[in-house]
Amino acid sequence: MINVTITKLAAQALLGRRRFWLLLAFPVLLVALTVTITALTDGDAAWPLLPGLGYPVVLPLVAVLAASSVLGPEVDDGSIVYLLSKPISRHAVALSKWVVAWAATMVAGALPLYVSALVAGGGDRASAAGLAAVVAGTTYSALFLAVSAITRHAVIVSLLFVLIWEGLLGNLLTGVAWLSVAQWGLRIGHEVSTELPDPTNVPWAALASLVVTVGGVWFCGDRLRSFSLRGED
Amino acid sequence: MAEQRAGVIHDLGYRHYDGPREGVATIARTLYVTGLRHAFGLGRSGKSKILPFLLLALCTLPAAIVVGVVTIVGLSELPLTYAGYTNQVQLLISLFAAAQAPVLFSRDLRHRSIVLYLARPLPAYVIALTRWASLATALLVFSVLPLLVLYTGGLLAGLDVGEQTTDLLKALALLLLVASMLAGITGFISSVSLRRGFAVVGSIVALVVVPGVVTAVQAITSEEDADQVGVVAGLASPWSLTNGLASAWEAGVTVFTPPAGGWVVVYLAVAVLVAAAGLAAIVARFLKVGSQ
Amino acid sequence: MSTLVLDSVSRWFGNVVAVNDVSLTIAPGVTGLLGPNGAGKTTLMAMMTGFLAPSAGTVTLDGEPVWRHTEAYRRIGLVPERELSFGYLTGRQFVRANADLHRLPDAAAATERILGVVDMVEPAARRLDTYSKGMRQRIKIAAALVHDPAVLLLDEPFNGVDPRQRMHLMDLLHRLGDEGRTVLFSSHILEEVERLARHIEVVVSGRHAASGDFGAIRRLMTDRPVQYAVTSSDDRALAALLIAQASVRAVRLRPDGGLDVEVDDLGSFAVGLPQWARTAGLSLYDLSPSDESLESVFAYLVAR
Repeated sequence: MINVTITKLAAQALLGRRRFWLLLAFPVLLVALTVTITALTDGDAAWPLLPGLGYPVVLPLVAVLAASSVLGPEVDDGSIVYLLSKPISRHAVALSKWVVAWAATMVAGALPLYVSALVAGGGDRASAAGLAAVVAGTTYSALFLAVSAITRHAVIVSLLFVLIWEGLLGNLLTGVAWLSVAQWGLRIGHEVSTELPDPTNVPWAALASLVVTVGGVWFCGDRLRSFSLRGED
Repeated sequence: MAEQRAGVIHDLGYRHYDGPREGVATIARTLYVTGLRHAFGLGRSGKSKILPFLLLALCTLPAAIVVGVVTIVGLSELPLTYAGYTNQVQLLISLFAAAQAPVLFSRDLRHRSIVLYLARPLPAYVIALTRWASLATALLVFSVLPLLVLYTGGLLAGLDVGEQTTDLLKALALLLLVASMLAGITGFISSVSLRRGFAVVGSIVALVVVPGVVTAVQAITSEEDADQVGVVAGLASPWSLTNGLASAWEAGVTVFTPPAGGWVVVYLAVAVLVAAAGLAAIVARFLKVGSQ
Repeated sequence: MSTLVLDSVSRWFGNVVAVNDVSLTIAPGVTGLLGPNGAGKTTLMAMMTGFLAPSAGTVTLDGEPVWRHTEAYRRIGLVPERELSFGYLTGRQFVRANADLHRLPDAAAATERILGVVDMVEPAARRLDTYSKGMRQRIKIAAALVHDPAVLLLDEPFNGVDPRQRMHLMDLLHRLGDEGRTVLFSSHILEEVERLARHIEVVVSGRHAASGDFGAIRRLMTDRPVQYAVTSSDDRALAALLIAQASVRAVRLRPDGGLDVEVDDLGSFAVGLPQWARTAGLSLYDLSPSDESLESVFAYLVAR
């Protein structure tokens, strides 16, 4: 299903531009901050950085940036027709692009989160945080890829979802946890360490993450099947 | 082939205009008003109105609810101050700035339609200033509107006028700083990163991630009894500057490491400096593009 | 040999009709799709290439629909008007990526072969963003041809290309047509189409205005009332003389001197005018057609 050429081109587009440095800034910032604070204080003073900043903000931002970079610009300037005018199923195109976005989210989002967790305390808690980040990062990248296929304003729409729905409203209304990618990830991480919160139940969290991931990539492919060339709007 | 032909400009019946013309001031004012309207999607497509007004509604709705509660329950004072309210909705204000700055700053530069403006008698720096003023005003309108709802509702519910007005004025002074800083920062980011998506992410980093880091650092330093470090860290982001000042002015915002004494002056000076630097950077950017 | 068939195709965007009930068949050989700017050429091309669904009617390639049918791209090569945004690739890498996307058995050899065909072997190692407009156009054609498609669709291929490169491209398209491929290109410039295509399809305002052999259509276009501006030694005398002729439909005195003449039968007018003038002892100073622009030709076709 995965087309190596498309994956390669998407990776080149992601790595070869200025946006790569923006993407790289996040993990560097996160790890550097955790290391500095851990070095200057005793105990696990740096740990709150993860539930307060790394997990709810840095991880989704990396996913937004990665997902919109592999699809957004090409759809924007129409050069995606060079990829789509080929006898390749559009679902394969979507999947190949998602693989790149997913890998970038893992490397620049989930991995540094895990490293920070190790630095800030380690133990089961760190593994749990790492697992939560892998699950949520995977779901985020597929969800945001689908958003990129729908609207030119994918970045802002994705940010609204993360910051307003999951962040602002999620803090006020506990019910939002049932429809929150971040909370699903945390719930699955909770299985490894009970220090993580327990917002929903495991079957729901696992099923919802899976459905959004598969559904997001499939939906993106479906939108690409109906991709239309038209002028600027 | 090389036969000589006399050129002629055909008279199509257009009349020459040599009456009085409006000056630079009027052009700048028109540009400013258009920019302000565009920041809210007015005069643009229906789709571009959705986001600004959705954010505005999210930002104002809680104020209306608070007023309702105050009236029905009959409280003698607002449950939170005006500056406290702004502090609560700072994420929405940041999102509005991040989302709408590219509308004012990226489009002209990206599509090179900026040359059409430069073909008018308006110098590039005036255009930059006008754009900045439009965004700053839009931010001010966006953030002051809920406060006015609170204020009007509070007064109608019979709260103390003097107290409310003092509180509101403190908040307004802070918002003036916020609007200038945010317009400078997001405007500069959007005029450099012309792809809308990256401009938005860049602005979010500056307005959400960095303040988040600062707050985290302040929380830790306060716990570790190293408040001074936290106070210095507060200089690093527009929101921590604002919240620090708000706490120093007793406007109803608490921060982990409040600035005191001379630090208040430093906070104020840095805030003004940030706004000025942002504005200067935008002007420099427009001058550079204008000279290309 | 492949044939692209449009059957009663319409496309509207909201309440704007971009393409209105067009039926046409694109057969092997070079076909020009001619129309002024905004006539619906790009919309038509988008539907032919499977990047837009017709609102009504069908677009088929050898009997199979093109929309939502990715397998059709095995037989289609597409040269979009859009610029390449893969500036960080070299020409060779770009063509090779296209070959790989087609899963060609020997992609490397196919890449080299097609680079030779478009005469881009030498600059193929340079990055795309260093190319001139004509080179980019040729590399786009190479990318579209790398899988040896039966159908080649080009949207405004000569836009912004300098005259020498244009000749080069035209030769290439000629060759491809002679090889039996179905080559369709769109253009709004009459002279380009005339040089390249024997068969043309004309669209104006979203409607199919004319179709067939270029020469025949050209003749249809010229067999219409034509406007001339004439100046002579005695305009009034000439006007009286002309209005008596069967080939002349109307004569009007211009305020600044000279005559506007509307001619029905161009042939007999052209032959007769010098003789009539000489017999009446009049001198003709200037005779020029006043409405030869392509737009007026199109306008005439639509009004018919």
